[in-house]
Amino acid sequence: MTKLKKLFRYENVGMLFVLPAFLYMLIFVGYPIIHNIILSFQDVNAGNLVKGTRNFILFDNYLELFKDSVFTSSLWNTLRFTVSCLVFQFVVGFALALFFSQRFSFAKPVRGILLVPWMIPITVTALMFKLLFATDIGIINFILRSLHLIEKNIEWLTTPGTAMFALICANVWIGIPFNMILISTGLTTIPKELYESASIDGAGKVQTFWKITLPLLKPTIESVLILGFIYTFKVYDLVYVMTSGGPVNSTHMLSTYSYKLSFEMFKYSKGSAVANVLLVILLFVGVFYIKATTEEETD
Amino acid sequence: MKKRKITAVLTALAVTAGIMTGCGSGGGKGAAADNAPAADKAPAAQESAGEENSGETASSGEAQAVTIWYYWENEGHQVTLDQLIQEYNGSQDQYEVNAKYVPFADFKKQLSIGASADELPDIAILDSPDHASYVAMGIFEDLTGKFDVSNYYEGTVNSCTVDGKLYGVPFGANCLALYYNEDMLNGAGCSVPATWDELKETAKALTTDSVTGLAFCSVQNEEGTFNFAPWLWSTGATSYDINNENGIRALAFIQGLIDEGVMSKECINWTQGDVMNQFIAGNAAMMVNGPWQIPTMQSEAPDLNWKVTLIPRDKEYASVLGGENYAVINGGNVDGALDFLTYATSEEKVKFMMNQFGYISADKTIAESQFAADSPYYPFVEELNYAMPRGPLAEWPSVSDAISLAFNQVITGTATPENAAAQAQATIDGIVK
Repeated sequence: MTKLKKLFRYENVGMLFVLPAFLYMLIFVGYPIIHNIILSFQDVNAGNLVKGTRNFILFDNYLELFKDSVFTSSLWNTLRFTVSCLVFQFVVGFALALFFSQRFSFAKPVRGILLVPWMIPITVTALMFKLLFATDIGIINFILRSLHLIEKNIEWLTTPGTAMFALICANVWIGIPFNMILISTGLTTIPKELYESASIDGAGKVQTFWKITLPLLKPTIESVLILGFIYTFKVYDLVYVMTSGGPVNSTHMLSTYSYKLSFEMFKYSKGSAVANVLLVILLFVGVFYIKATTEEETD
Repeated sequence: MKKRKITAVLTALAVTAGIMTGCGSGGGKGAAADNAPAADKAPAAQESAGEENSGETASSGEAQAVTIWYYWENEGHQVTLDQLIQEYNGSQDQYEVNAKYVPFADFKKQLSIGASADELPDIAILDSPDHASYVAMGIFEDLTGKFDVSNYYEGTVNSCTVDGKLYGVPFGANCLALYYNEDMLNGAGCSVPATWDELKETAKALTTDSVTGLAFCSVQNEEGTFNFAPWLWSTGATSYDINNENGIRALAFIQGLIDEGVMSKECINWTQGDVMNQFIAGNAAMMVNGPWQIPTMQSEAPDLNWKVTLIPRDKEYASVLGGENYAVINGGNVDGALDFLTYATSEEKVKFMMNQFGYISADKTIAESQFAADSPYYPFVEELNYAMPRGPLAEWPSVSDAISLAFNQVITGTATPENAAAQAQATIDGIVK
């Protein structure tokens, strides 16, 4: 009886509130991750998925992966894709945020409209860009040809080098509004008085940007970049629809390669090993993010 | 205060983003699987056939449920299957069959997941080259001696036979053949090509600024391998033995078509449906495709003047066998599944299904009398005599992947035919030996 009473003491009640969320996480997030890690240390394929004779082969899947040129190139592709997308969408998003923070008519509605790319289902965007970049019927080649910038149609999606470029373009288009809206919100939190006193002290536009805007936006920028990294790193649908990892495996990402190994080639363990590499990388970024945000709150 | 505001907005955005992309930021396998192809979200809309039936299952108390999974997105196919099921359900009251549509892109995934989670249908109608993999998985019932398949095309029976045991019943057969635009051919003064050299010459003569001579699906997956196989096999090479004079000649022939501009490089992004659209839009003068396109072509382009002939040969005529097989899942309602299959494979029902589907019966005797000599389907029946199955091999998906990589390398110019063949052979040897 006293034990039960103890359980419901004021300082313990908080635990009970957390319990449902904790159980949810344990079942729907914790279990799949642990199961996936175990799977990646076994040798599970079409032959023994159901029969239940699963041999533990420890790190063999991972060792094989790092010898697999498609895996190493998809790891490199994922990094290249993420960094390129982040740079472009951040710079353009930042510029647009600064632009729309000026007070002029229609600033707010136009900023709202600019959010549209982020709301369109990614599959639709991917199909749209696939058509835009088509060799013979694509409007991009048509425009370039009309401007006499090119003589022969560029084979955007059928040449290994340019296919990645097309994917990055599509993803930057989706990512700009995300960056813009977060940075816009960050801008509104900077007190106007700071700018006023700076201008009284004779600071120019460039100076106020470097000395006031940027330092005060630091926490926002960190969050935008880290969240952007996570969202971009696990890209799947865009690549699947636009190139399916082709031509000649040149645009495979960790996610699409994991799917291909697991569900097209029945190499479940290898597929889960790829997914775990993805998980470990994102875990590092996630820890970094949590650290950055807690530091910000204790500041 | 302001920091809390930022955190709030960030959290809100993070949550919305999570919902929109279908997963949280945890990543890992969950992310890969949940974000799966767009088709994921489609079944609800296209499931009408399945829903109608499940409704009836609830109302009739005693009948045992028998579930079928299939992947035909074609509405005509769905309606026809539904009709067969309705007739069956009306003919007896012991079993109640219902069918569920699973998109093709997800079919393998769903069967795999279903197998490990013990949530499988009682009957699956699946793509024949995958049959052996699922037999290896051990989810299919041994049907040896339960169905008479002695009249069926050998290739179709082989596709569901493993170690001399029958693990399925062929649903229908199809193969690839060459479609040509008769007006364009006559306009250029060409005759119907029968050999590779003639094909190349004809394609060259038909190629103009807006028309490419030939098109066939070369996507880097099973669909592409399906379309490349006839060229490979025509040289005398097999799917497992590519790095030789024959295999290299097949790859070099495709490379020649691309290099001389008589086939568009975009074929690596065109599904068989896309290829058909290019053909009926008049952008391609000839195409390799299957008989299932005929109903669509007849309704979409009734004025287009086209004919079908055998795929031109190098050493010998060759085509590739496609089509679906019925398989019975073990551990499910096996008796009900067998009862339905016995009903569905009767001659009368097979004829009805095949004609409605635009398929060729896997039963030779039915197939040979199925079409008149002037029917566009007739050349496909002839082509079936040269058609060979892929596999059957549990590791076929990996072999297929190596082959499709090889012709994609050649088409995109990232490897010479010799290098592509050597690389594919190395991969295949690692799988088969």
